[in-house]
Amino acid sequence: MSFFVDSFTSAFRLIWTLDPELLTIVRVSLSVSCTATVCAALVGVPTGFIVAYGRLPGKRAIITLLNTLLALPTVVIGLLVYTFISRRGIFGHLDLLYTQKAMIIGQFILIVPLIAALTVAAVSRVDERYRNTAKTLGANAWQTALVVLREGRFGIAAAVISAFGRVISEIGIAMMLGGNIKGFTRTMTTAMALEYDKGAFTLAVALGMVLMVLSLGMNIVFNLIQGKALR
Amino acid sequence: MLYHLTGIRQRFNDRTVLLIDHLEIEAGRIHALLGPNGAGKTTLLRLLAFLDAPTDGLLQFSGRDVGYSRAELLHLRRQVVLVDQHPIMFTTTVAGNVEFGLKVRNIPKPARRRAIDEALETVGLFRYKQAPAKELSGGETQRLALARALALKPAVLLCDEPTASVDIENQAIIAALLQQINTDHGTTILFTTHDRVQAASLAQRTLILENGRPVPTSHENRYTCTLVTDTNGTIHYNLHGRVSLSVYADTTIHPATTTGQVYIDPEKITLSRHEVQQASGSQVIGTIVLIMAESGKIRIVVHVGVVMVVLMDRTAYERQRPAVGETVALHFTANAITLLEQNDQRP
Repeated sequence: MSFFVDSFTSAFRLIWTLDPELLTIVRVSLSVSCTATVCAALVGVPTGFIVAYGRLPGKRAIITLLNTLLALPTVVIGLLVYTFISRRGIFGHLDLLYTQKAMIIGQFILIVPLIAALTVAAVSRVDERYRNTAKTLGANAWQTALVVLREGRFGIAAAVISAFGRVISEIGIAMMLGGNIKGFTRTMTTAMALEYDKGAFTLAVALGMVLMVLSLGMNIVFNLIQGKALR
Repeated sequence: MLYHLTGIRQRFNDRTVLLIDHLEIEAGRIHALLGPNGAGKTTLLRLLAFLDAPTDGLLQFSGRDVGYSRAELLHLRRQVVLVDQHPIMFTTTVAGNVEFGLKVRNIPKPARRRAIDEALETVGLFRYKQAPAKELSGGETQRLALARALALKPAVLLCDEPTASVDIENQAIIAALLQQINTDHGTTILFTTHDRVQAASLAQRTLILENGRPVPTSHENRYTCTLVTDTNGTIHYNLHGRVSLSVYADTTIHPATTTGQVYIDPEKITLSRHEVQQASGSQVIGTIVLIMAESGKIRIVVHVGVVMVVLMDRTAYERQRPAVGETVALHFTANAITLLEQNDQRP
């Protein structure tokens, strides 16, 4: 019991004193995950919107593919990207392996299908009458599409938040493509795994608490958005 | 003529839902489109609102053939607004909803503000201007949908069952609004309804659709019947188990037929105030529940156990002057009653 209490007390102290190592790890995690989420949103939201809104041939097949990609394990993505960016890979000359860029690429691949699939679901749920109403009120094709996008905005925001939650807590890609280099590619999850391996729990518990606070923050935002959507 | 429809056919999944050989809709008037559910009323409105293109046929608007290119559709749609039966409001304020159509037309902000205020004043929703539109009641939502259309000053206002899902108070408000919009702005209004009284009181012209086709009058005297043979061997139509009518000798009935549908032509029923005797095979007794004027005829609704409509010409009506609540006799001529085949939709 005293081990448990000691670990938590020390972890709290690290957070309270704003330990530089802890802050660096949190900063790297947030920077990589935020960049990956923004980039994935820029691709995933329009993709999902076009799939849901447009009259595309093979629409059902595309949705099935997106849903299948949701189940892709992070280590598979890590391995796939590794084969491309390792020294022997076709992008080996770019020297991306064990950099934050490599982690961003991996995380981007992980969550683009997630954002796209959830955007498809959000846009498909938008009542068909919005499209007709916009048209009959004189909106052109772009303005009509924007109306549908606007009405699906809460669902789309929830998709992006879910995607951020997915990447901030993943470990496979961060470990395989980032390499867990201290001060450079060490993220909260890779640092926790390392500290656990070393049997030093203080930093791991502190990072765990930060992760939980971030998760709580995201859920609060998520609920606020959902609440607004229901009103 | 504002709209001119020739040979219009609309098909969905190999099923023809609308078939109009010829229809004209005059500008500046209020038109009612009457018909039962599934008659094709909404399909026709969507064609007239340029939201759908017909499968076949020619639609002309203001004397010109309607083309379905994006640019032309946008130009046409900006002259016509369709108000849905269950209008949906954008997730914004009441004012934001009215502003939408003005914004997409690039109307400058001061003019937009004026138009919003004016439209909301007209429909009596000005005090809710900044309220979230989704918090309005059903009747208020319908009025907001009218304001959203009204702010755009369209040449044509199409309303799908504008009073079907609102309370009595809002029904009267909406009917008065439609009248006002037509009078003040000369807007052509076409609304769909099931309600003959509303159609007759509000519209200058009533169009009737049945099974996707325009008909001169609605076949409302249509009843499910059982064929009953009495002790004398005479066959009767028993309408909903409440009214018995003789089958005329020249009616061909398949020996196996036990049930069917009959249609009684409202123009071939004679109404009499003075010869009210016992009900017999060719006469039924009932009470008048409604009298209204309609397209040069007088529509008299009589409750005889089932509701039966009689169409009288004005001279006959003037001569007899029947009154609501009065007991009358209805006589049927030999060709007034038609036995419809099961599943046959037309007499």
